[in-house]
Amino acid sequence: MAARLAAQNLELAYNRSVVVDDLTLTLPDGGFTVIIGPNACGKSTLLKALSRTLRPTAGGVLLDGVPINSLRSKTVARQLAMLPQSPITPEAITVRDLVGRGRYPHQTLLRQWSADDETAVANALAATNITELQDRYVAELSGGQRQRAWIALILAQQTELLLLDEPTTFLDIAHQYEVLELCARLHTDGRTLVVVLHDLNQAARYASHLVVMKAGVIVAEGIPSEILTAGLVEEVFGLPCVVVADPETGTPMVVPQAGARRRPTP
Amino acid sequence: MLRQAPCVAPATGPRIHTLRLGQWLSFRVRTRSVVVGGILVAAVVVIGMLTISLGALGVAPNDLLRTIFGQGNGTDRIVWGTIRGPRLVVAVAAGAALGIAGTLFQTVTRNPLGSPDVIGLSAGAAAGAAAFGVLWTGILPQPVGALVGASAAMALVYFATGRGFSSPSRMLLVGIGVSAVSLAFVEFVIIRVGREEATVLAGYLAGTLASRSWEHAATIWGALLVLAPFALIVSRRLQLVEMGDEQADTLGARSGRTRLLAVLVSIGLATAAVSVVGPIGFIALTAPQIGRRLTRAPGPGVIVSALTGALLLCLADLLTQQSPVPVQLPVGVLTALLGGVYLGFLLFGQYKKGNI
Repeated sequence: MAARLAAQNLELAYNRSVVVDDLTLTLPDGGFTVIIGPNACGKSTLLKALSRTLRPTAGGVLLDGVPINSLRSKTVARQLAMLPQSPITPEAITVRDLVGRGRYPHQTLLRQWSADDETAVANALAATNITELQDRYVAELSGGQRQRAWIALILAQQTELLLLDEPTTFLDIAHQYEVLELCARLHTDGRTLVVVLHDLNQAARYASHLVVMKAGVIVAEGIPSEILTAGLVEEVFGLPCVVVADPETGTPMVVPQAGARRRPTP
Repeated sequence: MLRQAPCVAPATGPRIHTLRLGQWLSFRVRTRSVVVGGILVAAVVVIGMLTISLGALGVAPNDLLRTIFGQGNGTDRIVWGTIRGPRLVVAVAAGAALGIAGTLFQTVTRNPLGSPDVIGLSAGAAAGAAAFGVLWTGILPQPVGALVGASAAMALVYFATGRGFSSPSRMLLVGIGVSAVSLAFVEFVIIRVGREEATVLAGYLAGTLASRSWEHAATIWGALLVLAPFALIVSRRLQLVEMGDEQADTLGARSGRTRLLAVLVSIGLATAAVSVVGPIGFIALTAPQIGRRLTRAPGPGVIVSALTGALLLCLADLLTQQSPVPVQLPVGVLTALLGGVYLGFLLFGQYKKGNI
């Protein structure tokens, strides 16, 4: 399987406590990969390593076959974009200015704002449906609009690979699906997405490739309908449940058992 | 060929223009920032002319240019050349240096109260000035003593955080401690030495522009001209670090290095200013905040902060020179007064918005 982004024997640690140990993973090109797992299973940490913001203690991430940490950071930023879990909104910034900051990897000290930058920002605003909000201050927007502005920022980077760390957290349910539909559209348009999600049913519905993690290890990966079973959910999350077909899409839907209590996982 | 492309944004948003020269040069210019910058420059020029011209000794505005180019009469030449000229030229550069130091530091710490005053640099300079200017005289001149003190304080902060300058919140905490120790030392010196010397020292410690020379002017302008370009370069990356380290890193802005460079430039400018004019308070704290409110632009705003700092310090100096108080007040007393009032205003605004 040809893949632009892959992790090989990855070991990740914060202050010498190992979070991910010997993890190997290939992210399919043009796929919509969703990573799920219980809290603190290392899924966000993995995303940080894949985006080159966390240096592995052993093993490595390969971008087009080259160790990502050996590449210049601006070079990587033209190939791969990531939206962190909770970016900070600067003071007094308009939507247009925020999205424009995604152009940094394409700019130089002397060429600070080219015609390409202008086009890329306009396209990113249109793709996320916020063109009419471009002169508003980001701080004034609703949660859903703000998240679309941040996604527009990484789209303005014009990269084929997009990594998103829990883009639906802090959003109400309608806005969650709005963001997921946007991701699905980007996937249809040919981009490669790697997204960390919390909600299993959303993951099953949107993922073309599902990665299930537990305690820093990949427990299962593959097409959601093939791997997401009641046994797997109970093993990974400690939640007794039944898995039925989603009446809308036919994808697996996890329904917790009545009165189920989280069992301590071995 | 210089082509000016008006942006597509409708009139409601901030007006931005793009200047392009061929394929390799292009800059974005915000109309409001340019207008604010122009007004600030004009204001500095007017305050500067008033500083030289007002009062019994003042050089008449008509004779100003001639005097500056060495053609004036004897009194005018002395007033420009030794009394008021150097202190004005020093005030412009010291104010600008403090303004830039403040805006870089506030952006790095993401804290409107982050400034060289807070991280112990000013207190360290004060301790150095007290040690070498009063206690152990004859080893080093007082401004060099201040420089040594400021550098020693910053070295102490660097090692005490355990992470160098990479953790702004630790720098603030450690800086408060270093400040306290330095100021305790200054108190000790003041009690130890005679009353006369203590008064002179107190004047210096408040920050003073009195009897500055052209050597002082050369020192601070040299530091400003060397370090300001670095501030401009780092400010582009710094505005990405504003969005969080991870976001900046994935955009290719390398947050760690950016922060370190910004802190070093900030410390360099503040140390140069402090060694020339003493620890003048509140300019570094207030100039970036005032500048930001004038331009309503995001990001560090290096040029506008520099101009605001220069204006504030020149204005404060003009007021001290022309004040009816019989003793010459150190300019730092006035900047502290203006800054205190401004800080109250800032806090009141946040209180009304419900932020505190």
